[in-house]
Amino acid sequence: MNQAVRNAGAVVAAMLLAGVAAMAQSPVIELQGGAFRVSGWKAPQSEPSGGWGTVFLVYAGTGKVPALLGSYAVEAGTLVFHPRFPVMAGVHYHAVFREPSGLMIARDFDGPSRATNPVARVEQIYPSADVLPSNLLRLYVVFSDPMSRGEAAGHIHVEDDRGNILPDELLPGQELWDPTFRRLTMTFDPGRIKRGLTSNRTIGPPIVEGRHYRLVVDRDWRDARGVPMVQGFARNFTGGPPERTPPDPAQWRVTVPAQGTTNALAVDFPAPMNYSLLLKMIQVARGQAITAGAVALDRHETEWRFTPDTPWKAGDYRLAIDTRLEDLAGNHIGEAFDIDIFEKVSKSIERKSVTIPFAIR
Amino acid sequence: MIKGPVFRRAALAAVAVSAVAIIAIADVPVNLTSGLKTGKPELKSAGALAFGPDGVLFVGDSLGGSVTAIDTNDRTAPKGAASINVDGLDVKIAAMVGAPADQIVVNDMKVNPLSKNVYLSVSRGKGPDAQPLIVKVDTAGAVSNVSLDNVKFSQVSLVDAPASNPGARQDPRTTTITDMSYVEGNLLVAGMSNEEWSSALRSIPVPFKSAGLGATLQIWHDSHGRYETQSPVRTFVPYTIAGRQYVLAAYTCTPLVKIPVDDLKAGAKVKGQTIADLGAGNQPLDMVPYKKDGKDYILVANTAFGLLKVDANHLETYATIDSPTKNPGTAGMPFEKITSATNVKQLSQLDGSNAVVLTATSGPGPAYAPGPPVGPMSLKTIALP
Repeated sequence: MNQAVRNAGAVVAAMLLAGVAAMAQSPVIELQGGAFRVSGWKAPQSEPSGGWGTVFLVYAGTGKVPALLGSYAVEAGTLVFHPRFPVMAGVHYHAVFREPSGLMIARDFDGPSRATNPVARVEQIYPSADVLPSNLLRLYVVFSDPMSRGEAAGHIHVEDDRGNILPDELLPGQELWDPTFRRLTMTFDPGRIKRGLTSNRTIGPPIVEGRHYRLVVDRDWRDARGVPMVQGFARNFTGGPPERTPPDPAQWRVTVPAQGTTNALAVDFPAPMNYSLLLKMIQVARGQAITAGAVALDRHETEWRFTPDTPWKAGDYRLAIDTRLEDLAGNHIGEAFDIDIFEKVSKSIERKSVTIPFAIR
Repeated sequence: MIKGPVFRRAALAAVAVSAVAIIAIADVPVNLTSGLKTGKPELKSAGALAFGPDGVLFVGDSLGGSVTAIDTNDRTAPKGAASINVDGLDVKIAAMVGAPADQIVVNDMKVNPLSKNVYLSVSRGKGPDAQPLIVKVDTAGAVSNVSLDNVKFSQVSLVDAPASNPGARQDPRTTTITDMSYVEGNLLVAGMSNEEWSSALRSIPVPFKSAGLGATLQIWHDSHGRYETQSPVRTFVPYTIAGRQYVLAAYTCTPLVKIPVDDLKAGAKVKGQTIADLGAGNQPLDMVPYKKDGKDYILVANTAFGLLKVDANHLETYATIDSPTKNPGTAGMPFEKITSATNVKQLSQLDGSNAVVLTATSGPGPAYAPGPPVGPMSLKTIALP
């Protein structure tokens, strides 16, 4: 028996095994609803001994790469491959079906088109003041839409007043995002801020008092869909004196509203405070109950305003302030960012709050 | 109506951290896989990795605010010496999970000390909806996904009870876990908050208990002068010095600090001792302690300085570095630059004389703090120098 005859015999045997009904039409590979289907081929109920992967495989790359992860199912007689992860924009898929007869068909697919419409922009950068302390520790960049990580190092810069990029200002590599990827925390190089450290002594602080700077976010920063922003963002600021004194609630001014109103309670600080911590580290309480309401920040984060959900009642209230609340330079209540070792360092962590009582009349 | 300032300070004793020592030195080895439940752990992200005994893999989830202990069930030692070399790793992972290669981010890499297979924590995508993956590369170089659909696991949350504003929108605070290590029955977790600067090291008893996050510690180190600072630890390793258990921690710009494990008690402020300074303008990535020709060394992977081989003999004899050093300020333990491997982004010990490195192009940005590495990525086995 020559080779062709042997092959023909094998094909006939395979067809008989696979069922004559399968001969009615040629198999076609389709991508429907995120799953790859072999239409026109009646799949046997039981999986082949080597697994469905011996019959049908999908690849999402070229060269010697593993096949796409996923699971197989026979649905109404049709073999279906469900990818483990959703079909993704920008991916090219190569699906290969090998009939038991030996006949091989392949079909290529592209994932959905990548989005191209820009939607994201920088809403604000905190601190929002025009003059920032020379030992400013952190910035918060707030975007309108979820962003991609891995972009900060290339797309946020501090420039001097002649437009030169100052390369060693920020520590962009460790991107600290909120869970929605809309707020990025950027840290200035702490080695240049801490007094006594090599970088501080030789290079100096990142911001120099009296000098003018420009904070620039490039339009090319990609959002979570991979699309650049609508526009870039820039803001000028001037270096101010370093902030070395821990915030002291005794210096805060409290403006108390009248009973029966839902007017805002206001607390004014002598210097701007850390934006993100200010939003959450001051509470209003009455007796054992925390008063529900909305917090807003104003006057470049020197004013905290609290609007209660229900009108103020006459009586004693208090503000409870978490001592981890920081100013712009990382000083927190009762403790400076860098501690002079000639002063005593306490032996234990004291997580506590300080209170400011006030009365509604 | 404006009122004059009427202030009174009061410490709220109820919220003070209780001072209970929780570092237990286990006399009897604990089988870490007992007490795990079977199911599908929920991960929002997969970041820092650490192996404990019995092939248990700890996965840090910064977005989910948790650490998960997973039984890899991967405890068979390889036949003969392992050597893992894979080119185009990012392309292979991308093909496996159906993503463009530029959407694959490798977050951490650790070698399973029992099987010598390499485990990687990976993100599929770069936005908030990126899917977390654990990828295994076996000693034959085969790349596979570690399915978490039906595994033995245990999970502990790192999220503090919400502090304020009941009913407020999703808390924007996250703790990025920078490194983890299993030390004498505890998992030490170093983290960096996106809000407050003062960050803590957590010590979590293993197996995880349902209640309690373990001890919270603050590590201080005196560095070049009279000012003490409290910084986030970038990477650290357990280390025995003259019979005493220490943690050797590396910080940004780049002091090495030794901290006695005995001092790591709940609520403690611990003072570390700076015993080396690898220089400014650099960040440490990973450390591998090893012995060669009877001498102790630590191989340190760095952002700007590449691989450094640090002489770790007689660490007990080093005095605290307390005087300012010149830029690129270096002091304490001697070290030398290793040029046999470049572009090292991840480093993990394979065996007594070899390490596995992940090499890739640095992401955009300054050399000392670049963005996440970009492809092409390779795994290589290198001899410990």
